[in-house]
Amino acid sequence: MTATEAMVLPKRRRERRKWTAGEIVVMIVLGLLVLAVASPVIYALLNSFRSYAEITKDPMGLPTAFTFDNYVALFQRTDYAQAVLNTVIITVSTVVLLVAVVPMAAYGIERVGGRTSRFLYVLFIAGLMIPFQVRMIPLVKGFNEVGLYSTLTAVILVHLGGAASFGILLYCSFIKGIPIEVEEAAHVDGAGRFRTFWSIVFPMLLPVTSAFVIIQALGLWNDFFVPLVFLDSSSAGTINVAINRMVGLLTSQWQLIYTGAILAIIPSIAIFGAFQRYFIKGMSVGAVKG
Amino acid sequence: MTDVIDRDAAAARTVEVASAAPPRRRPRFGRGRLATLAFVVPALGVYLLMVILPSLQSLQLSLTNWDGISGAYDYIGLKNYQEILGSGRFWNAVKNTLILGLGSAVIINVVSLVVALMLDRLTHLQGLFRTLVYLPSLVSAFIMATIWKYVLNYNFGIANTALRDLGLPTWVRDWLGDSSIVVWVILFIICFTLGGNTTLIYLANLQSVPQELVEAARIDGAGGAKVFWNVTWPMIAGAVTVNMTLAMIAGWVIFDQVLVLTSGGPGFVSETMAFFIYKVGFGEYRAGFGSAAAVVLFIVVIASTVLANAYLRKREIQA
Repeated sequence: MTATEAMVLPKRRRERRKWTAGEIVVMIVLGLLVLAVASPVIYALLNSFRSYAEITKDPMGLPTAFTFDNYVALFQRTDYAQAVLNTVIITVSTVVLLVAVVPMAAYGIERVGGRTSRFLYVLFIAGLMIPFQVRMIPLVKGFNEVGLYSTLTAVILVHLGGAASFGILLYCSFIKGIPIEVEEAAHVDGAGRFRTFWSIVFPMLLPVTSAFVIIQALGLWNDFFVPLVFLDSSSAGTINVAINRMVGLLTSQWQLIYTGAILAIIPSIAIFGAFQRYFIKGMSVGAVKG
Repeated sequence: MTDVIDRDAAAARTVEVASAAPPRRRPRFGRGRLATLAFVVPALGVYLLMVILPSLQSLQLSLTNWDGISGAYDYIGLKNYQEILGSGRFWNAVKNTLILGLGSAVIINVVSLVVALMLDRLTHLQGLFRTLVYLPSLVSAFIMATIWKYVLNYNFGIANTALRDLGLPTWVRDWLGDSSIVVWVILFIICFTLGGNTTLIYLANLQSVPQELVEAARIDGAGGAKVFWNVTWPMIAGAVTVNMTLAMIAGWVIFDQVLVLTSGGPGFVSETMAFFIYKVGFGEYRAGFGSAAAVVLFIVVIASTVLANAYLRKREIQA
């Protein structure tokens, strides 16, 4: 009873703090700012319920009826469904593969010790300063030579390489904080190194993993440049690539482009909503440490 | 945008993490280091093949006249670099990259800091507002730019329609087709954000400023502005370094907005370096020339990151 009370008390005290006029003004200002910044998206959302004729005749008008005609048309008349599937495949495969290899590599780098450790770490971190543009032309050449150009595999591989540096940095700084003694105990109990890692160390890395997964998933979902370069017209592309093609091909189909844009945003918000807690925590912890 | 920021969230911190690393101790157990090294192999393999090797190959290709399609090419020495340095189009791209990269870095940081300060003042519903503020940055740069392209359409865009309806027909412009303003319009669109990650980093740092310091300054009679400049600002100098470096690294490779909004046009007026490399390498079949431009971009990124870090860190220490 006393313990619970002690834990609840500080919170209660904060809740009792009075609402000040200044605070309410700040809230209104913030609300207006968010509304302003989101206004293009809101505009697109409204127009996804209108026809092309309505949009061009009266650009400032509101939808007259909330029908999902555009949403149906988008899937019937374009390759959008395939593009969504491609984006899901790329995002999920890349994230799964990253989680399969990056924590393990960071663990190896941290535990191998000595100069090797230092060298590998710096080698990976150097990648943070290499813009994608620097490696893009040779990569296209290479994938053409091995016949992987314009495949999802190519996009996934390019993303894997690009995300490795950040992952190594993130995981290494956390593995440093894990005492070796725990692993030694597991080893004494007869667990191999591989098993020690996956059953003892990896679970301890869960907080970093959730932050890493959500950061990468959002980045992959929203990416445009990599699939633009590595997927040509033989593929339906990713969502963003498909929308970009629609802008060129369906010049008089604004309503479909607005609809596609809205559909592309929904999953980002869903990913964020589901893992928000971990995300903000991960960002904040990393930031203060930095 | 998120991708770039997050991926590079690290770059800024690299120096510190590396120097703060405690002496590494080898575990007392284990059958030699080879077994440990095997853990690194899969990631290292992909990384070498996808990042290091192609980067080195860029250097090699930059010395050739490769067109990007045919199997054969000749080495032409430093000709590509000579041409780049003498090309007005390239320097225009550099100028735009500076305007957009540096401009957006400064503006986004100011906006984010102001928003973070406002969030920090809230004692009620702070979590809710933090989420609200973050939401717009979940929309990718590509999608945002695509919507803006239609908002700014000359005939049917809502921007010009609103101006006409408000009785300001002289204000109506061809926002994306007028070469005297197009770069500034793109800058505006890039900066039309509440910062997202940048704001979160500032907020986290503001919340770690010891309240005793602020209260002590208050007791000494310092007003709001004075407290900010003399207490808060020096305390968040580290966050400024991180955020400015990140924003600049992201700024040097601005691409999505340019491709979507103008395709570098009218003419070559709104090209950035990243767009220039893409256009020359893939659109104009001059992969060798594009590689040389990529190498120049690489040098710019490294140099500006190191310089900016050195400068900002010096500021931190003085503060």
